[in-house]
Amino acid sequence: MTDSKYFTTNKKGEIFELKAELNNEKKEKRKEAVKKVIAAMTVGKDVRYTSRLDFECYLGSFHPSIFYFFSQDCEDPNPLIRALAVRTMGCIRVDKITEYLCEPLRKCLKDEDPYVRKTAAVCVAKLHDINAQMVEDQGFLDSLRDLIADSNPMVVANAVAALSEISESHPNSNLLDLNPQNINKLLTALNECTEWGQIFILDCLSNYNPKDDREAQSICERVTPRLSHANSAVVLSAVKVLMKFLELLPKDSDYYNTLLKKLSPPLVTLLSGEPEVQYVALRNINLIVQKRPEILKQEIKVFFVKYNDPIYVKLEKLDIMIRLASQANIAQVLAELKEYATEVDVDFVRKAVRAIGRCAIKVEQSAERCVSTLLDLIQTKVNYVVQEAIVVIRDIFRKYPNKYESIIATLCENLDSLDEPDARGAMIWIVGEYAERIDNADELLESFLEGFHDESTQVSWLKRTDVQVLVNSFFSFPHQDSDNPDLRDRGYIYWRLLSTDPVTAKEVVLSEKPLISEETDLIEPTLLDELICHIGSLASVYHKPPSAFVEGSHGIHRKHLPVQHSSIDTGESPVSGGPAAAMDQPHVIPSQGDLLGDLLNLDLGPPVNVPQVSSMQMGAVDLLGGGLDSLVGQNFIPSSVPSTFAPSPTPAPPAVSSGLNDLFELSTGMAIATGGFVAPKAVWLPAVKAKGLEISGTFSRRQGHMYMDMSFTNKALQHMNDFAVQFNKNSFGVIPTSPLPIHTPLMPNQSIEVSLPVNTIGPVMKMDPLNNLQVQDSFKCGLPQGSVLGPKSFILYLNDIFAVSNILKFIMFADDTNVFFSGNNMDEIIKDLVNVKGLHIIYSSLILPYLSCSEIWGNASKTNIDKLVKLEKNNL
Amino acid sequence: MISQLFILSSKGDHLIYKDYRGEAGSDVIDVFYEKVTALTGDQPPVVMSHKDLHFVHIRQGGLYWVATTTADSSPFSIIEFLNRLSGLVKDYCGSLSEKAIQMNFALIYELLDEVLDYGYVQMTSSDVLKNFIQSEAVSSKPFSLFDLSNVGLFGAETQQNKVAPSSAATRPIQSSRDPGGKSEIFVDVIEKMSVVIGSNVSSVQHQVFLCLPEMRIGLNEEFSVGKSQLRGYGAAVRVDECSFHQSVQLDEFHSHRILRLCPSQGEHAVMQYRLSDELPSAPPFRLFPSVERDSAGRLLMYLKLRCDLPPKRSVSLLPEGAGLSQELSSPDQSAELQLQNRTVFWKIPRFCGGTQLSALFKLDVPGLSSASLLEVGPVGLSFELPKWTGTGLQIRFLRLSPVHPGPSQRWVRYVTHSDSYIIRI
Repeated sequence: MTDSKYFTTNKKGEIFELKAELNNEKKEKRKEAVKKVIAAMTVGKDVRYTSRLDFECYLGSFHPSIFYFFSQDCEDPNPLIRALAVRTMGCIRVDKITEYLCEPLRKCLKDEDPYVRKTAAVCVAKLHDINAQMVEDQGFLDSLRDLIADSNPMVVANAVAALSEISESHPNSNLLDLNPQNINKLLTALNECTEWGQIFILDCLSNYNPKDDREAQSICERVTPRLSHANSAVVLSAVKVLMKFLELLPKDSDYYNTLLKKLSPPLVTLLSGEPEVQYVALRNINLIVQKRPEILKQEIKVFFVKYNDPIYVKLEKLDIMIRLASQANIAQVLAELKEYATEVDVDFVRKAVRAIGRCAIKVEQSAERCVSTLLDLIQTKVNYVVQEAIVVIRDIFRKYPNKYESIIATLCENLDSLDEPDARGAMIWIVGEYAERIDNADELLESFLEGFHDESTQVSWLKRTDVQVLVNSFFSFPHQDSDNPDLRDRGYIYWRLLSTDPVTAKEVVLSEKPLISEETDLIEPTLLDELICHIGSLASVYHKPPSAFVEGSHGIHRKHLPVQHSSIDTGESPVSGGPAAAMDQPHVIPSQGDLLGDLLNLDLGPPVNVPQVSSMQMGAVDLLGGGLDSLVGQNFIPSSVPSTFAPSPTPAPPAVSSGLNDLFELSTGMAIATGGFVAPKAVWLPAVKAKGLEISGTFSRRQGHMYMDMSFTNKALQHMNDFAVQFNKNSFGVIPTSPLPIHTPLMPNQSIEVSLPVNTIGPVMKMDPLNNLQVQDSFKCGLPQGSVLGPKSFILYLNDIFAVSNILKFIMFADDTNVFFSGNNMDEIIKDLVNVKGLHIIYSSLILPYLSCSEIWGNASKTNIDKLVKLEKNNL
Repeated sequence: MISQLFILSSKGDHLIYKDYRGEAGSDVIDVFYEKVTALTGDQPPVVMSHKDLHFVHIRQGGLYWVATTTADSSPFSIIEFLNRLSGLVKDYCGSLSEKAIQMNFALIYELLDEVLDYGYVQMTSSDVLKNFIQSEAVSSKPFSLFDLSNVGLFGAETQQNKVAPSSAATRPIQSSRDPGGKSEIFVDVIEKMSVVIGSNVSSVQHQVFLCLPEMRIGLNEEFSVGKSQLRGYGAAVRVDECSFHQSVQLDEFHSHRILRLCPSQGEHAVMQYRLSDELPSAPPFRLFPSVERDSAGRLLMYLKLRCDLPPKRSVSLLPEGAGLSQELSSPDQSAELQLQNRTVFWKIPRFCGGTQLSALFKLDVPGLSSASLLEVGPVGLSFELPKWTGTGLQIRFLRLSPVHPGPSQRWVRYVTHSDSYIIRI
């Protein structure tokens, strides 16, 4: 007799039989029947209707006493039975039963058998899912927290898992109180618990922010042994913890480098699994490589594609190969890529050819090699290879203009074989760009023109930009009978330009093209940092933040990489403030190295002579009192390169040591009223690092006051507004005495000069002075008002504003939203609204929350509230 | 955490379904099956999503093992868990098949209850689990050592007297509870070899291996880990990295290269190691190809394959495929042309060390050009080399602790597989 018979019975009276058997007197028979029902349910047969009734009857016969039995089971001498009872009770997902559960559960949480305790810990999570309030009221959360200190590692692991889950639904509560003592307990449990428990604990550790690098290092040291675990999930969780804490370690320490070395072998080992595991591993490695290419730069060989890899693994490997390509290994990489380009799979071959192009763009020294490799490939005359190669060569031309035009002749030979829009477009671009060097350029273009009607918009678009050298009669042809309005309009524009003013036309069309970026499809840094925090999770496979695909994303904390600890930004909260600041991640923290480089390269010269230094010291005593110690340090090493760096998200003004000495000399108010040395403005924030906002500035002194002179230049395409300045606590106590006097939006390419009065009465941070200055671009999220918001996204943002209230009426225009409220007479209105203040209440209580949750900022100063009152009813 | 877990047959029949968190209905099983069958080749099958639900699945024993999850949990731990679960089921039921699962569904539900609680993995060690599982496994047929004794490792035909029966793993672990049953230990050293040999001799190699169950295992004394740790001269065995099973005690490993472990029943990967780049020995096979066009416009492929293993060792089963375009007239040797893959398969049933085989293929290719010669290749070899390890890793001894009662049989087997052995032309 085997159990398989349950799957084979399919007789007519089956359900009836089941019913009978379930009601059988004999325990054995009943057991059999239950098995049968389970089997039937698994197969998906519809036994629900009848059998559920029976089933409930079956269970129902216990019903009055079921909880009695459960609580009795919880007292059973056999721990297995106690645990089973708790587990089963938790699985009955009925609200009613929860109250019966409390007492037994409380006992089980304190049971002497670890097996029972661990089951009880999970049961708390189950209960929380059914009735969160009750769990809190009954104090189960505290019991769970106590379990973290349990002697049995399994219990600890389950308690951690349960707490992590519960705390996800309470984003603000500090349930999992991660303090050094708890961390220590977790680390101790880590060594002893099962592999699965290790995963829970490691995931929990990754949410902890160590206080300083020493603590981070000691945690890393204890996590590192997990890297050689056989379970890849443990390895990946450990990698996550280490990647996070690496942020905190000083980059030049020995430990940092050893850790980097230790990370690579386990990552490589992950690639030896099944293709599915490999894929997940590769997606994760892709992230890690973008964040810290140095970890795997020696291991590029393991990413070479195997002939029998599935295509999705191949493509991921290819991507990682390119990211790891550097001057040292480019020869190897190119040889591999060339090999791939002769494979059978068309998609893969195309990607491989494209990869060659990306190598050329990334590693400049290899460009020549890449070009010759591409030429070799073109010689094969395989249609799709040639086409792809031409597209790639166009990109190379854009990156290195006027360097490889010798190969154009070869390209032109292959004109006829081009039949894809991309490739044709690329070829036309090349011909247009180098028209002067191609004798028969117009002929070539002529030949393209014949097929014009069949070609996609893309090609024609490109054609427009490039046919500049040809006569405008050229245009009369396409624009007359083209259906695409965009195309036709472009045609007209060029045509008119050409016919009226050929010189301008030439300027317009031949204007400089932006260079193409080095790294394509990089993940945006903030997102990357967030994804690094989610290594090993689904987010890392999708390369999307969890909020993008997990239900109820509000509850989920956005995780951030820890910022290297700095005492400087602990004092104040950002002035730009409000909820926006929280969302507004410091997108670009200019790296100190660069900024310092900029500042120092200016070479301000030796503006200070020796006697001034001493006078300054005295002045400083007067002025700065408590700041003396830091200043003294400053004075003794006035021109040394500062040795401590710490990123801070907002400006800390002292600029260059030599300039500073001068500044302070002046600020002590000693005799010199005007003049003195004013350092030339240095670029504090290059435009590329701040989305186009360039800030340069210096410190100066006029009429006995200190000023920070800055010029803001908008090099982006959009307006900028809402400027604000904030000074971190710094060693000189410098603070602004007035807000940043920029009130008008900054137009593209406009620049504005600002003089910000500062003084030194602010809080003084006792520390070695930082002589570098950091500037943050302080946009709030979203778009500045007045800039172009796509109509669709505007509608998306505002569309459901109606839902805010049903007594308000909305009339929405493209650029203005009116909110109406009306009543029959003023009394009614007044009753509701009292006065204009009431309107403000509506505004602030209803609309603002709406706006803020959809991340729009209302401009309060532009919000007008008008009363429209019919005169005859006006009884005000 | 795992929301639901189900096992489907290859035809989509529901075998096992268990819901841990009540977050989605059982109708998602069909959604999953539709999705997985509709996948095209270039879509990664690993994680699929349906509304808020994410499916993670593996295929083992012709079955789909699927877990669903709603939260942002780790696909790695789920995949790892599913692999572990299928291993457990195999250990408990003796084999993995639709039938075995159907016959043992009660046992499997019991297992599922124990290994997962509310979607959190609790334990997967068969040793611990044995305390909690009450059901007995039902075997499909009575186990007999003799039935299997002439089937070699991995289906290979092997010399019967030298190789242990590969039946150890196909026995339900509980059936060995009965006293009197003798305990047996099998240690397999399995190496997988990935080699790419370029036309310009540069070779890229990379290997990964695991070995299976138990006790006190002595490895070569010269065994070293890591690139820098070269110890003296001679035939040291070196690997880049190794990782160990949880139950392995490493206290004697550093000094004496001894692994101590208290294994539970069933099958485990005790140690995994990896070596890339340089092998201590030369790659076992070398190919000397020549591809040209003859006067009649046919493609001539002359392949000379040499086996560089020490003589007297013989290799079995060596099919080979050359990635190749276009059509053919008739091959000269016992080989097969597969048009849809554009490959030629050349099967060599037995290949002695130190010998050389050659083959000439003539193919009629319409529109053959010099460029299409470049498209020929690469050649992939798949083979199995018994009693040979590329790294030279050896088991010095296998000792049982003295407390362990009764004589037991010990088997040590070495085998090297080709994971991907590619020779570029």
